[in-house]
Amino acid sequence: MNTTVTMPQSRSEQLVIQEMADETLVYDLDRHKAHCLNKTASVVWSHCDGTTTVSEMAEILHRDLNLPVDEEVVWLAISQLGKAKLLDGPAQKPFTGAVPARREVMKRMGLIGAAAMLLPVITSIVAPAAVSAASCKAKGKGCTTGAECCSGVCGPGNLCL
Amino acid sequence: MLKLDRLGWAAGLSFRAYGLTIGVRTNTASILERLVPHLPYGWEVSGVETVDHLFSMLVGHTTEHATPSVVRRVGPAGKRRRFNLLYDGILLDIRTLDVEELLERFESSVRLKVAEHAKRRVFVHAGVVGWRGRAIVVPGRSFSGKTSLVAAMVRAGATYLSDEYAVFDRRGHVFPYLKPLSLRLGDDEKQTHVPVEDLGGVASAVPLQVGHVIATRFVEGASWRPRNLTEGEAVLAMLAHTVPARRDPAAVLEVLNRVARRAVALKGSRGDADEAAAEILARVDSGRVAR
Repeated sequence: MNTTVTMPQSRSEQLVIQEMADETLVYDLDRHKAHCLNKTASVVWSHCDGTTTVSEMAEILHRDLNLPVDEEVVWLAISQLGKAKLLDGPAQKPFTGAVPARREVMKRMGLIGAAAMLLPVITSIVAPAAVSAASCKAKGKGCTTGAECCSGVCGPGNLCL
Repeated sequence: MLKLDRLGWAAGLSFRAYGLTIGVRTNTASILERLVPHLPYGWEVSGVETVDHLFSMLVGHTTEHATPSVVRRVGPAGKRRRFNLLYDGILLDIRTLDVEELLERFESSVRLKVAEHAKRRVFVHAGVVGWRGRAIVVPGRSFSGKTSLVAAMVRAGATYLSDEYAVFDRRGHVFPYLKPLSLRLGDDEKQTHVPVEDLGGVASAVPLQVGHVIATRFVEGASWRPRNLTEGEAVLAMLAHTVPARRDPAAVLEVLNRVARRAVALKGSRGDADEAAAEILARVDSGRVAR
């Protein structure tokens, strides 16, 4: 399938971006989520400009990262970027709307072992509130919110359960 | 003027820790002496009158007459006992009849305040030891077995830097945070504070560059078979336990990025602390990385 569909626009507002050697770290100031984009996801995200087409993107991935020319890889990245709320435009594939699973793409492209690492991966965490990152309190200790307690529950009498 | 400011404050002290000035005022001067052991690591007397954060401590007393909202009738004679109150700024932090609980709460609130607002330092909830001139940082939340692993590495010859916070400067070097280790010796979750010397260990006096980041937690019966983390994953592993992560993410990411760039980061569950400590130190010695 040769798609002339253009890539969605990447989001730029309310983000802190740190480029690393092979990855990109993105902190979402609205959601307090941090994302680590591997090389492939980073390259796709950097080309989400609303003008590059999906087929052009597949060529770029082939040229820069030696990935087989396959638009499904691009759609997989777009889908993950969309889930991470890093795009401004819609992340849906036209016509079918279905994005193949990572495992399917790996199988179809015959990627095994280290080569599979070339597929787009976005690892995300929720940044902790200060109180959640500190030592939590044991059962029976005084508390005002659940975040202070190791159990996550501040019970009756303002004591951790 | 706030209502809290109009109360009769008998005494106060101000101190500085990690560039932050904190004041405490109280209605009972004698409590100040008892506060001192609860002040955060690295504190020094400040003496300034304007502080970054102010705590207000109202110590209750047993009396015949008191307003109902702050008293509780106790004992067979039905005497009224005032609650002890701690305010963090204008917010009530704790209301308790137990002065020890009040002091413990003060300690944890101040420690958190310093960790969140420290100037030019980034606090990550982590254990830290020194080995062969580099630091091993073990980020993790409470009850993940962090302190047990730190204690085991100290018993195996590593120098002690912290069992609570990895304190990074802008270059990514980690500084000692030398409080006694908080070990849970029984099944009852109660912590015992053990000086590092009691473990036969030595504390480090100098900051160190980070050599390894170990993201691990205790799992009964598990053996230590870690996998390598990428630099980005290592940053996330530390960020998940970083106190000022939300307050200043740009500065935090920059510092953690510097740490991750120079360190080997490993992730995996561990079983027995002593066995895991021996394996980690041996791995560092051999310069091996996981695959």
